[in-house]
Amino acid sequence: MAPSGFATGLRASDVSPGTVRVVELDGRSLCVGLTEDGEWGAIDNVCTHDGGVLGEGELDGDLVECPRHGGRFDLFSGRVRALPPVVPVKAYRVTLDGDEVVVELP
Amino acid sequence: MALPNPALSQVPTGYKYGWHDAEKPLHIFKKGLNAEIVAEISRIKGEPKWMTDMRLKAYRHFEARPMPTWGGDMSGIDFQDIFYYVTGTDKAVQSWDDVPDYIRRTYDRLGIPEAEKKYLAGVGGQYDSEVVYHNIREDLEKQGVIFLGTDQALKEHEEIFREYFGTIIPANDNKLAALNTAVWSGGSFIYVPPGVHVELPLQAYFRINTENMGQFERTLIIADEGSSVHYVEGCTAPTYSTASLHSAVVEIIVKKGARVRYTTIQNWSHNVYNLVTKRAVAYEDAVMEWVDGNLGSHLTMKYPSIYLLGERAHGEVLSIAFAGDGQHQDAGGKVIHAAPNTTSLITSKSISKGTGRTSYRGLVKVYPGCAKSKSTVRCDALILSDEARSDTYPYMEIDEEDVTIGHEATVSKVGSEQLFYLMSRGLSEAEASAMIVNGFIEPIVKELPMEYAVEMNRLIQLQMEGAVG
Amino acid sequence: MSVQAPAAAIDAAAIAAISERLGEPDWLRDRRAAWWARAEATPWPTGLEEEWRRTSLTELPRDAALALDPPSLRFALDPDLAAAGVVFSDLREAVREHPELVQRHLGETTTLTSHAHFWALAQAAWTGGTFLYVPAGVTVDRPLIAHLSQPAGATAYLPLSLVVAERGSSVTLLEEISSPDGEASWFGGIADVRIGPEARVRYANLQLLGDGAWHIGAQRVEVAQDAEVTTLNAEIGSSVTKLGLDLRMVGTGGTSRLLGLLAAGDKQHIDINSVQDLAASHTTSDLLYLSALYDEARAAFYGVTKVRSEAKGTSSYQECRNLLLSPNAGAEPIPVLEIETNDIVRCGHGATAGAIDPIQRFYAQSRGLSADEAEIMIVRGFFEQVVAQIHSEPIRERVLDALAGRIGSDAEAAA
Repeated sequence: MAPSGFATGLRASDVSPGTVRVVELDGRSLCVGLTEDGEWGAIDNVCTHDGGVLGEGELDGDLVECPRHGGRFDLFSGRVRALPPVVPVKAYRVTLDGDEVVVELP
Repeated sequence: MALPNPALSQVPTGYKYGWHDAEKPLHIFKKGLNAEIVAEISRIKGEPKWMTDMRLKAYRHFEARPMPTWGGDMSGIDFQDIFYYVTGTDKAVQSWDDVPDYIRRTYDRLGIPEAEKKYLAGVGGQYDSEVVYHNIREDLEKQGVIFLGTDQALKEHEEIFREYFGTIIPANDNKLAALNTAVWSGGSFIYVPPGVHVELPLQAYFRINTENMGQFERTLIIADEGSSVHYVEGCTAPTYSTASLHSAVVEIIVKKGARVRYTTIQNWSHNVYNLVTKRAVAYEDAVMEWVDGNLGSHLTMKYPSIYLLGERAHGEVLSIAFAGDGQHQDAGGKVIHAAPNTTSLITSKSISKGTGRTSYRGLVKVYPGCAKSKSTVRCDALILSDEARSDTYPYMEIDEEDVTIGHEATVSKVGSEQLFYLMSRGLSEAEASAMIVNGFIEPIVKELPMEYAVEMNRLIQLQMEGAVG
Repeated sequence: MSVQAPAAAIDAAAIAAISERLGEPDWLRDRRAAWWARAEATPWPTGLEEEWRRTSLTELPRDAALALDPPSLRFALDPDLAAAGVVFSDLREAVREHPELVQRHLGETTTLTSHAHFWALAQAAWTGGTFLYVPAGVTVDRPLIAHLSQPAGATAYLPLSLVVAERGSSVTLLEEISSPDGEASWFGGIADVRIGPEARVRYANLQLLGDGAWHIGAQRVEVAQDAEVTTLNAEIGSSVTKLGLDLRMVGTGGTSRLLGLLAAGDKQHIDINSVQDLAASHTTSDLLYLSALYDEARAAFYGVTKVRSEAKGTSSYQECRNLLLSPNAGAEPIPVLEIETNDIVRCGHGATAGAIDPIQRFYAQSRGLSADEAEIMIVRGFFEQVVAQIHSEPIRERVLDALAGRIGSDAEAAA
């Protein structure tokens, strides 16, 4: 297990490519995703626009789309790629420990 | 309340006269909306797969989202009772005789030339500005400016189109934006290269394609660093549309140091629901101005917005709303301050007459960290009759301390002393009222291109005389 | 010592038990039951309503035990006034001593939709509150002061205050509401103020609830022909306040002034929604609410001025100004106008939010004041616009004193 990582309880094999999930970890709510290209990323789960749940949204390429108003965040940097949000979300590194999905939290 | 019934049926002319394009499957000419029709629209336009997918996804969002519970009364909209794709020639009104009386009278009183009248009423034919349009295009091309219909722009400039389309107003932003993203057709695409200043206001008016009358126009404007452009759409003369739902989306990107002004004068016939989503982002040192005139339609809901994303960006919304009998203008503006030292100004002037109703609805939002930002909102409403109504709903969300945010509104009637004074100088009551109303809206009218300003003033005069509408 | 009901036991039986304990007459017992039925039928706010979007009720201690026997309010009243027919007592006592008066005036009034449930709840389950009755033509010179103190502990306290000023009378009432700091508690007091024709009433409510208190309050003020009212709400305490102000101008020629002072710090959340309903001609209604926000405090204000189509020649203005004194303070002032006639003399509103003008600060400090002293002076100057309109000196002093706790006093700053 990575030194600073937290096990999400997610199994990589349970997550379909091109989707995101909500994961509660260490008092934080995260949106964890696997792109079609096979890359894992994680960002804060709450949309900075109006509190939408990003983990319940869609993943389009590298972009997480908020289900509430369609705002988009980059899954790897947390930067805003489509309005109406303007404030970025925090992003976290994700690694795999065997089949276990692990998020590095500061 | 029952809407005026457009005299003609909505059967396209092509069909009536037996003309029929063998390539187009017949089912597209039915009313109503479903995923197949959305896919078909995309297929007919010959769009790339990503756009087709985007339309279909937007259609899913449209189905899932509820209608807004605030604003005007939209209960009269039946989404299944609309043609979602009609080609240019099909849109033409059968004949001049079918154009409502009040519109024909206004044209006469405003002195609109014959050819233009027909164009505005959508009565077949083409407006003879063809030559003018081509000359303008050549000039622009020399500067590297792209000014095309949106459909064409998607074909010829796919890369830049894809980079920005839907990033300012995503499909799922609201129900009408989702509808537009699914069935959009027509609208303008403008790209201005860095440092280029387009001197002449670009007008949708000059584009021949009849998607001008489009129900679901989609406009995208990108002003690159240090550039400037002024875009004008609509016109003061009443525009007759058989289509009862107009739901356009306008996205604008104003890059660092650039400047964009977007002027709209809308005077749709009184059967129209005009529900529009317009939003711009302004980066560092950029300036964005919305000049918005709402004169027509049965119900308009429109709140041009500006997101100030870079330091020292400035946004302005100048809004005029006029509501006569049975009309409801629910308009205003939104500014979101998301960077320090940003400034904004919203000025709204509204007039309600007869049984009309005007509502100002606006938002000033300041995110934390936007120190030294300033915003002023000024809404004035004039109620001209006892049965008219005026509302003001100004929202403010201020989360940064080091700012100066202010909002002022007044509601008034035409002062009897003012009227008396003018009438004692020989003006009739209608003339005096017109003068006062024109004076009331003067600060905004003076920002309009001249021919619009002149027409606007004349239109107000006609309205005050009760001669039309 | 007060007796608490078992937790989450506000139900028809508990309501009947209240009546029983107090030995109330049948008409009152039946009234309470009817209001309880109404409370049950009126939905709790969902948070989607415009007035509730900015304040969440999920943390409200709904299960707080109802304070069944809060201390009886002791009031001193000039014997001459008592002889003239003025009644100023705890509402429970008034039921015993002046049943016909209370029965006549404890009416069926309802209030804003936003607070409908809480109004009905208090009408059903009230224990204590102020009863003030002033007969026609009687003037009460000195301000009357009532203290409504919530007993310690995680309690719910719902006092009902009823003020009736008959034709041509005049009176000033200050209600001070308080509770101890510490646990989460719920204060759901309501005030029903009826001002008869040509009467003049000044009603002030000084809110000094504890730091864990949830204040869900409602005030309904009805102004008859040619009558005059000034209300003042000073919000200083509580953790969360959601106050509903219902002002109805029902008689021609009436005038009203609604004043507010908010001084909030820490993580306080003060949310006020008001309706100024001008339903009669030639009425006037002006509202001025000022707030000074420190630390991470937040103030929301949603005020509606409604001029009905039959109300001609009215004059109204709504003003909400917010001084933000720290980076994490926030304000959401939303003044709304709904005007249904053009026959108006004056109508408008204004709202501002922002920091102290740096030039003002500089000027004060260049006179030798420290940064803290300058800020205090400027905030007091900011509040002056409302304070100057508090005509009663004892009330003004009391309010300034209470504010000093939040905005600091000169002595503190100099230390």
